[in-house]
Amino acid sequence: MTNKKLEVKNLRISFRTASGKVQAVRDISFDLYEGETLAIVGESGSGKSVTTRAIMGISALNAIVENGEIFYDGRDLLKYTEEDFQELRGDKIAMIFQDPMSSLNPIVKVGKQLTEAMLLKNRTRRRSSRRDFYRMLKALRTAVRDSEGENAAYAKMVQSFIRAERIGTKCESRYRLARQNAEEAHERLKELLVTYAKETESTIRTRCARIRRYASRCGDEFLPVFRSDRFLRLLEMLRPNGLRTERDLNELLQVLEEGLSLPVPDFYAIGYYRAFSGDRGNGGNIEALNERARAFCAEFDRAFTKDTEVGIAHAHAVSLQKKSEALTPLREGAAALGGEWNKETVVPLVKKLSALVQDCIDPTEVRKESVERTFGPCILSYCARYFAGIRKNEKEQARFDRQTQKRDALAARGKQPDWKVTPPSLTDTGALKQSMLAAFDALIALYEAQTAAGAPYDAAAETNGTIAHLKDLASRTAVRVNRSAAKRRAIRLLNEVGIPDAEKRYGQYPFELSGGQRQRIVIAIALSADPDILICDEPTTALDVTIQAQILELINKVKRERNLSVIFITHDLGVVANIADRIAVMYAGKIVEYGTSEEIFYSPAHPYTWALLSSVPDLESSERLEAIPGTPPNMIYPPKGDAFAERNRYALEIDFKRQPPMFRITDTHYAATWLLHPMAPKVEIPASVTERIRRMRKEADSE
Amino acid sequence: MNKSDNEKREVLLRVENLCQYFRTGSTELKAVDGVSFDIYKGEVFGLVGESGCGKTTTGRSIIKLYKITSGDIYYRNTRIAAGTRSLEEQMRALRKEGRRTASALQKEGDAEAAKEERRKTAARLKELRHAIKRAKYDDEHCNHVYAAGKEAEVRAAYEEKLASCPEAKRDALRKEYKEQLRIASRERITNKIQMIFQDPIASLNPRMTVRDTIAEGLIIKGIRDKKYIDEQVYKMLDLVGLVPEHAGRYPHEFSGGQRQRIGIARAIIMNPELIIADEPISALDVSIQAQVINLLNDLREKFGLTVLFIAHDLSVVKYFSDRIAVMYFGKIVELADSDELFAHPMHPYTRSLLSAIPLPDPAYEKKRRRITYNPLLAHDYSKQQPTLREVSEGHFVLCNDEEFESYRRALEDE
Repeated sequence: MTNKKLEVKNLRISFRTASGKVQAVRDISFDLYEGETLAIVGESGSGKSVTTRAIMGISALNAIVENGEIFYDGRDLLKYTEEDFQELRGDKIAMIFQDPMSSLNPIVKVGKQLTEAMLLKNRTRRRSSRRDFYRMLKALRTAVRDSEGENAAYAKMVQSFIRAERIGTKCESRYRLARQNAEEAHERLKELLVTYAKETESTIRTRCARIRRYASRCGDEFLPVFRSDRFLRLLEMLRPNGLRTERDLNELLQVLEEGLSLPVPDFYAIGYYRAFSGDRGNGGNIEALNERARAFCAEFDRAFTKDTEVGIAHAHAVSLQKKSEALTPLREGAAALGGEWNKETVVPLVKKLSALVQDCIDPTEVRKESVERTFGPCILSYCARYFAGIRKNEKEQARFDRQTQKRDALAARGKQPDWKVTPPSLTDTGALKQSMLAAFDALIALYEAQTAAGAPYDAAAETNGTIAHLKDLASRTAVRVNRSAAKRRAIRLLNEVGIPDAEKRYGQYPFELSGGQRQRIVIAIALSADPDILICDEPTTALDVTIQAQILELINKVKRERNLSVIFITHDLGVVANIADRIAVMYAGKIVEYGTSEEIFYSPAHPYTWALLSSVPDLESSERLEAIPGTPPNMIYPPKGDAFAERNRYALEIDFKRQPPMFRITDTHYAATWLLHPMAPKVEIPASVTERIRRMRKEADSE
Repeated sequence: MNKSDNEKREVLLRVENLCQYFRTGSTELKAVDGVSFDIYKGEVFGLVGESGCGKTTTGRSIIKLYKITSGDIYYRNTRIAAGTRSLEEQMRALRKEGRRTASALQKEGDAEAAKEERRKTAARLKELRHAIKRAKYDDEHCNHVYAAGKEAEVRAAYEEKLASCPEAKRDALRKEYKEQLRIASRERITNKIQMIFQDPIASLNPRMTVRDTIAEGLIIKGIRDKKYIDEQVYKMLDLVGLVPEHAGRYPHEFSGGQRQRIGIARAIIMNPELIIADEPISALDVSIQAQVINLLNDLREKFGLTVLFIAHDLSVVKYFSDRIAVMYFGKIVELADSDELFAHPMHPYTRSLLSAIPLPDPAYEKKRRRITYNPLLAHDYSKQQPTLREVSEGHFVLCNDEEFESYRRALEDE
């Protein structure tokens, strides 16, 4: 199963306005898996942007989160402080904003805005990787100590491991910089050679000078080709007054390719080799050096792994023990919370249980289980919100009653007051209670599955995973981004998003660019800090097709390369078909249908999805478009039944009275419409949609 | 529709070698560079291309929002805009050439021939000077000339009526005559062309009510009858799917789709023959887009409008247009009937553009391969510069001899 990156549960967001509470998002839940793209489709005002802004922690000031959680990396984002968010934004979750005019700083040059995130985030990322590295090693040491008592040998091994990694990352840092330069030179040279015959002498000269600047900085001990005499001779030829032919340039390209295809050194092993063998291991074949270093540290690795495995197994066993012990109090707690809530008993109980579960967490596990990690903070917040809500509801109700009374009294005297009574904004305490019980159920189910006899557990695999994770953390600290590297990356990003003359644009201000170019800068900024989750809020709406296609390709490429998760908001169904793995269709603050992209396009179930599909022309359509009549409802007074009923040709009587639940169609496909109820009349999908689906199927089959 | 049909049909707008350059510092930006096309009466002419290729500039030049650099624009065979740059350049070249040949002849001692040469040059220069003068006059005075024509018509009609009118009614008729004359004097030929702007938010004055916005054109036209104006405004609001109550509101009280409808109402109240729709739907929501397209289609049928439809959403352009021109960096690279263009795209840029259209079909999208276009690689214009040539009936492509042959061959192979 792929990992859940982000979980949104029962999110409900309203806005306080002068004329009442606008219910922008009403009870939506969705998951985002690692490496997938989730598209959210809907009209403006359906709450798409509000949801994603809550994820980034940039909701408007008058927004109230009434219910729900957003889990990321085992923590609830809705409880983050501003300082926490600053670590998260850009680095972990980045967003491409809709409006390029207001999302760029008008008085800062484009280049600075682009590199700012890279420089800042690189520093914090290295710092946090280092912190995690030492924290994990400490947890391992504690686990080993707990299992077999004080183990001086293991402590020494940990020290050796740290020393090896230190030397290794230093080499890696230098290697990466050199390699980057080589890649840059290679890229530019390749570009130049494509149009070499048609370029003028002066452009060739300047471009060669630039290539030379990069190529002269790519010598490294692990890239011996770039220190060879042949390479240096070719470099001399790139000088402005150097004699060069196309053949020389082709030869240089070959050498660069040769260098870039050299095997990557095993930095950990080499670090260990240099630290303890007394030999620098300079020069020679990298493959051979890798072999030698690996052979040298094999013994140490074995010993280290063996001891670590003991520790990890022990920590796991202890955690399991605690979990099975915790099950009883948890069940009792769930039972107690099922009844009436009394502040004096519930608050201490919840506090106790939250601490208990926090204690059960295995400190050495790499893959974090979100149910377990979020349980504590979650139930605490439910509890707090429940009791605060009860108090506030009373007040609100009293205010509402008072004002209604006043209004009625005026009306009774024959006056028609020109003001309206704002409806009370009540906290749904029932829903909070339900969420609390659901959290308990989920945790108990998880613990039962984990503590059941014969639950699969592979200590060796866990250990290998942990050590790989440690090495990964160490290598992450080696990625050093300095000013010039940042600039280079920024310019490459600008090229990738299709901005001509990137080098000139780098030093310009936003007002000097066109709207489409500004939008592309915003996209480049979001991609610059290597985020974990990318939220795209209508990124290509203002762009024309060629650039749009280019940007979608770029997002898809980045997604594949870095296993990125993407939330893509748009109303263009063509774009959705291109990019989405799964689609959620939103209307009036609710998700009305969600499923995989094939399911939504080939077997849509909700009338709103039908309406959306039939309102866009494709290349074959010639009949009159079926526009959706009317406008979305006013969300201060959300309709009692299905919000789409008013504009729906297929609305049933019940649609006006009760909200439809989510009906399951397949395991991945759900829709909220009464038409799916077994007792509902059979309704045909509109002809224009079936016609198109038939055509698409036929095309797909014919090829 | 094929070529013979086209020939029969009336050309409403003719654009010839339109160039629109902008000064940017010391250099000049060639936003539109030698664009020519005809728009026939009753058709929808689509103009597509990437942002910054000069589509909007072309539209704005046609309604004379800019002073065009060179080229001519004819509306119903009346020149409404003309630029002088190309003529001035011709003059400069001619003067230089004439001087050189004359002095060469002089050196050879053939004084008579030199004199003759000078005289010839002077005559041609005079012709050119005259053409420039005419162009400048047409550019500035086309509306006045048109109004004068209208006035003459009214005058002729009423002189006759007045002559045959009994004495008692003559005063009333005279009053009417004066009124008609006043309105005729304010007639503008360019009023027959109206524009719907791209951004419905920025193109409406936030401090004018919807009534004021829509009626402004009528007032400028010289109509003073308040009742008639209100009637017209309500009629237009009804036509575009708004209600009369909306007339008293301000633009900010409307949604994007409704604002675009106001923009459309403002354009059609002038009773135009040609509408330039500059990306009228790209700022709107999907469901609203369909509403606006349907509205434009209805209006077109109702009033027999001709539309110049500027957009970058190709599936909408295909759906809406009869003929499509593809622009790239200020030049039209391909022009054809919309079905023909999509069936046989020839210019590499058109191919790349068509390959980039996203469609609501995941299976197709997974397979779609985008073709990239690099003018440096795609063409070799070192020997011969390209021109717009007719490859098959009604299908024009920007190419040189070599490419022309290859396009023809490709077409025959099919």
